[in-house]
Amino acid sequence: MTPPDAAAIAIPATPSPGPLHALVKYARIFRVSLIERMTYRSDFLIGTLLRFLPIITTVLLWKAIYEGSGQTQIGGFNYREMIAYLLLTNISRMFSSMPGLAGGIAREVREGTLKRYLLQPLDLLGFLLSSRVAHKVAYITMSFLPYALLFYLCRSYFDGFPDATTMAAYALSLVLSFLVGFYFEASVGMVGFWFLEVTSVLYIVMTLNFFISGHMLPLDLLPQPWAGILKALPFQYMAYFPAVVFQGKIRGTELILHLGLELFWALAFMLLARTLYRAGLKRYSAYGG
Amino acid sequence: MISGVLRYLRMLGGLARYTLAREMAFRGNFLVKVSVELLWMGILIAFYRTVFGKTNQIAGWSEPDYFFFVGCFFAINGLIETLFLENCNEFAELVRTGDLDFLLLKPIDEQFLVSCRRMDWGTAPNLVMGAILMVVALVQKGWTFDPSRVAAFVATFAFGVAIAYSFMMILTSFSVWMVRNQSLMEMWWLFSSLARYPRQIFSGRGAETLGRFFTFVVPILLVSNVPADVMVRVLDWWMVGFTAAVAVISLWVSRWFFQFALRSYRSASS
Repeated sequence: MTPPDAAAIAIPATPSPGPLHALVKYARIFRVSLIERMTYRSDFLIGTLLRFLPIITTVLLWKAIYEGSGQTQIGGFNYREMIAYLLLTNISRMFSSMPGLAGGIAREVREGTLKRYLLQPLDLLGFLLSSRVAHKVAYITMSFLPYALLFYLCRSYFDGFPDATTMAAYALSLVLSFLVGFYFEASVGMVGFWFLEVTSVLYIVMTLNFFISGHMLPLDLLPQPWAGILKALPFQYMAYFPAVVFQGKIRGTELILHLGLELFWALAFMLLARTLYRAGLKRYSAYGG
Repeated sequence: MISGVLRYLRMLGGLARYTLAREMAFRGNFLVKVSVELLWMGILIAFYRTVFGKTNQIAGWSEPDYFFFVGCFFAINGLIETLFLENCNEFAELVRTGDLDFLLLKPIDEQFLVSCRRMDWGTAPNLVMGAILMVVALVQKGWTFDPSRVAAFVATFAFGVAIAYSFMMILTSFSVWMVRNQSLMEMWWLFSSLARYPRQIFSGRGAETLGRFFTFVVPILLVSNVPADVMVRVLDWWMVGFTAAVAVISLWVSRWFFQFALRSYRSASS
């Protein structure tokens, strides 16, 4: 069997349908993905509720750490700020984590099903982005009530909502963290063009990401030079940065600079994912199917 | 009785060899699985080293004591995941496809076959890593050898494994009715996330009640707390006896519940 040469597949010479048509197309993908996601509501709610229980032990652990240290501030965080930070990183991860994205891309490459994106006027990354936005919208809508309850119960750890500018910066940092997370994982998934099995690489990257993104503890607590190194890497934008923006720990020019850097990393990973995709297609053999 | 036990031990050995041979067919995959576990251990050590850089005790546990606890949890968790987790996860699939029929027809105890069919060798090094961490912690603590503590540790470690196994078997048994058991992994994760902290952190209004609940009603907090306690902190024989009783009762309850669940099993195949 001669595998079709991916580069040789020609797009039919029809007139370009225009950006509005493309928008409608991706809006439809968004709608279908949203319906798919809302099918297992009760399963999802049970899962969300169960995931909240370990938060209790985290709160108790940090209470014990602060009591043991006899200090009111650790790494620039007092006890209330620390708990608020850990709760806020859950929100950051809600936007930036992309379960199954890289593995899914690698599977499409391995099983040859990727060819549907080559035969149809459909861009792989565009398709994945719209369906992922739909998944996130469904997830965030469904978990709004449980999270609202959790934050209400933990309201004593917060000083209320920050001012409008900080909230706007926080919202922007979350949207950008979604893009950084999406394009980073997509880039990892593209490695599947060169290695048949990326699950293993993925496990290692994701496990490491859990720590270096600041999900387990604020990066400020780490000794130098680690704190400095991790703050220079893009992973902090997936958990640490949005949380400290909400807490008002980054303000003024520093805030603008970091938002710019976050945008830079989102664009850099987008470019990387696109480049790897283009390079990968040259190697792609469309086996199976 | 003894010949029966020996027969099952031989069978366990055979299954272990068979699954190791299968695992070694994909050595790269095995190595990656081990490195992920190593990485997790590294992350946990980095986390607690950072924390102990800011304080010298957590809920009354000094740094070496706490690291002994972490090692103990890692070892118990590793042992459970190696021996049972994969098997228990597959049980729902056996029920769904009706393949459970083939296991029920074999002249071996059903519970043994369901829970010990496969060993997940990828998580086995956790037991070794946990043991290394415990030994390093003991050396750092300047621990002097005490045979009664060692005996109590070995016994309570086994009781902890038994309690964790019973909990997992009860969760698995639900698959007979639920068919899909997506929640099993979630529940196991919850279980292990409760067991990974010392129970002394449950202090303060409300938290103490919760700590007592998870010690005496749903005894998750006995699993790694008691063995670590008897080795590096307080050797409380009453607590050892209580853990032994809980282990026996939970094993009995889980066996009864598993067999009760099996009675509701209706084959899905022709």
